[in-house]
Amino acid sequence: MKLLSIKDSSGHFLGESGLSITVDKITKEDLLRLVNLTLSKDVEFDEYDENTIKNQAHQIVYKSVLEKLRGLMDRKQEFIDDSERLFLKDYEKYRDDSSQQPT
Amino acid sequence: MKKIDLHIHTVPTISESHFNFSLEEFKRYVAEANLDAVAVTNHDIFDGTQFREIKEALGITAFPGIEVNLEKGHVLIISDGSNLEDFEARTSLVSQQITKIGDSISVEELGKIFGNLGNYLVIPHYDKSPLIASETLEKIKPYISAGEVDSAKKFIRAIRDETKLTPVLFSDVRIRTNLASLPTRQTFIDCGDLTLNAIKSCLRDKTKVALSENDGNNLWQIFENGQKLSTGLNILLGERSSGKTVTLNKINSTIENVKYIKQFSLVQQDEAKDTREFKDDVERKRSCFVAEYLSGLKIVLDDIMNVDLDANDREMEQYVATLLKSAQDAYRQDAFSKTALFNEVDFPVGQTNTLNALFESVKQIIENVEYRAVIEKHLDLASLKRLACELIELIRDKSLENKKKTLVNVVVKDVKQRLKIRTSDVQVEDVDLYKISMDKKRVERFREIVGFLKREAVVFEDSIQGFRVEARKGPFAGAGEIKDVSGVKTAFGEAYKVYGEPYKYLRALLSNESLTRSELYKLFVKISYRILNKDGFEVSGGERSEFRLLQEIADAQNYDVLLIDEPESSFDNLFLKSDVNQILKDISKFMPVVVVTHNSTVGASVGADYLLYAKKELEQGKSAYRLYAGYPTDKILFSVDGKSISSHGIVMDSLEAGMDAYNTRRQGYEAIKH
Repeated sequence: MKLLSIKDSSGHFLGESGLSITVDKITKEDLLRLVNLTLSKDVEFDEYDENTIKNQAHQIVYKSVLEKLRGLMDRKQEFIDDSERLFLKDYEKYRDDSSQQPT
Repeated sequence: MKKIDLHIHTVPTISESHFNFSLEEFKRYVAEANLDAVAVTNHDIFDGTQFREIKEALGITAFPGIEVNLEKGHVLIISDGSNLEDFEARTSLVSQQITKIGDSISVEELGKIFGNLGNYLVIPHYDKSPLIASETLEKIKPYISAGEVDSAKKFIRAIRDETKLTPVLFSDVRIRTNLASLPTRQTFIDCGDLTLNAIKSCLRDKTKVALSENDGNNLWQIFENGQKLSTGLNILLGERSSGKTVTLNKINSTIENVKYIKQFSLVQQDEAKDTREFKDDVERKRSCFVAEYLSGLKIVLDDIMNVDLDANDREMEQYVATLLKSAQDAYRQDAFSKTALFNEVDFPVGQTNTLNALFESVKQIIENVEYRAVIEKHLDLASLKRLACELIELIRDKSLENKKKTLVNVVVKDVKQRLKIRTSDVQVEDVDLYKISMDKKRVERFREIVGFLKREAVVFEDSIQGFRVEARKGPFAGAGEIKDVSGVKTAFGEAYKVYGEPYKYLRALLSNESLTRSELYKLFVKISYRILNKDGFEVSGGERSEFRLLQEIADAQNYDVLLIDEPESSFDNLFLKSDVNQILKDISKFMPVVVVTHNSTVGASVGADYLLYAKKELEQGKSAYRLYAGYPTDKILFSVDGKSISSHGIVMDSLEAGMDAYNTRRQGYEAIKH
């Protein structure tokens, strides 16, 4: 699944409907959705190339978003594990205990 | 009875300051103290050559030993001396392991070095510094015959407590050249032959050890000349300048841990100073109460200190201004300011505190053992556990969500900054209305809390020996009072102007750099103390002295001996009889007390265990100070050099100003009565 792409000299992101939208329209809700996709799916991005993207505003948005999402993709497992580790001992203890007892 | 001292140092080691050993002094100590047996116990070393010399020179039973620095506490290992070469070899292994300060060996290593510890007399530091740790004690317990203590008080305590080891009191002396004073700490044992085995079996029987030769544990030796004191209540009488205070001072310097209440030390000298010191003293002793009482305010303050309403206002103004400007310029936006992220605001990132607290509460219910039955009567533990699991899942989801939002916020911020550099359009400043509103609420609540605190009320009451200590809270009446509490030399005039508005007042205090932030909580409400007498009135100067005396006596429990020089010098007889006598009697049940007095209320009514009489006598044209002593029922008191004196005469002279005066007074009382 390609989240960020470059076509017609513009930066695009994968919109909610599945259509690609130019990055100048991206909102924080869109970003959150891309973050979720990065963490849960196999995703890919077009490399940033300032010669291909003509619009300077697109360049700024595209480059920054790409860097962050790529960083997140590299640390995907660590990111999820951190949350999973919360109260892990208690969680496992109570989960195992309660599964042994009748309700 | 045999007198023994089995803890003696003859070799300076890294564990103590240097000294030069003197065999002559050792001989003098053995002779003058009439010792029957000694042991040489140096720190982690045994010098066989020196020991052989000592043994031959002393002519009494001398055991070879060593004081070992165990990992937690010191222990004496004493051998019967039948195989000195073997003991030398084993102790040299200890010396090899302990070469610098802080080195120690474990109980297991001790066992390996000495083999069967049951072949030795093993005596740990029991109630004496460095105290042996209980786990170490437990490990070597089967081999222990007695435990060493360092005062008569601790000796008596151990003797009376069935659960404690047999105590032994030894000198722990460094036998040096020109030994200033000879040690007085030794133990008597009811033992026939002084073999190591006989001593060991004696020590395992508490009835066979004592502090004195003939008086069991009633008396113990205090001075090297053989002078004894009672382990209970001693009354020291004598005329003026007969050496009473000198005797107290001597006891004070002989024993390490002495509570000494000197003559007139409790009497009021300067009313204002005395009142202030008295209050300071009472307040210091109760400062932990203030800290505890105001701990809630302290937590609130830690939070409120981070609230900056002015900065919040500025943020709001900035937000409105940029918003309006951006609206005006809307028609001429460029490619940068047209991007959606240009004016994007952050995701609010909430905390999982409430969920965490909820989970902890559920966990507490699940894991509580004490009230398990009640809990299970109403709640199904299995359901609770499933609830706990679900809460954890929620916490995880929420925290993952928060992490994602934080990440997005970072991207948004980064993009916004980059876009801003490239455009001349105004970016709308972000503002966190949630935080700003919450801050306002915080300050409002803070104002209410401080308002409640400032209301006058008694917040603490404590009753001490008939007096009542009362702590009141209320507002400060002026900048001076705040300054006193702060303990800092700085002006509070400006801050006090806004004292009525807690938040402004806090900001004023925060702007004063000489104040410590963590101490600011003390400057919002005044806690004042009053000491009230039995009738509910504030105490007078005399009553303050009484209060302090009672406090000092109560404090004496932490010491090994209590010395009081003329308590009557500032108190009336009723107080002495009703309070002081009773407390002295009580405290003397578990520690030695020595009271110097001329007062018949103390001297004759207190019910002393031992009577001492100090006397200055002329001998061959020179003044000689002598102490006579005996039980209160003895008709004759004796000095250590065999002189005697009638007890009736000295009691009459010291407490009643002589027989004639006593009779005259008695007749006078009779006349008034009739």
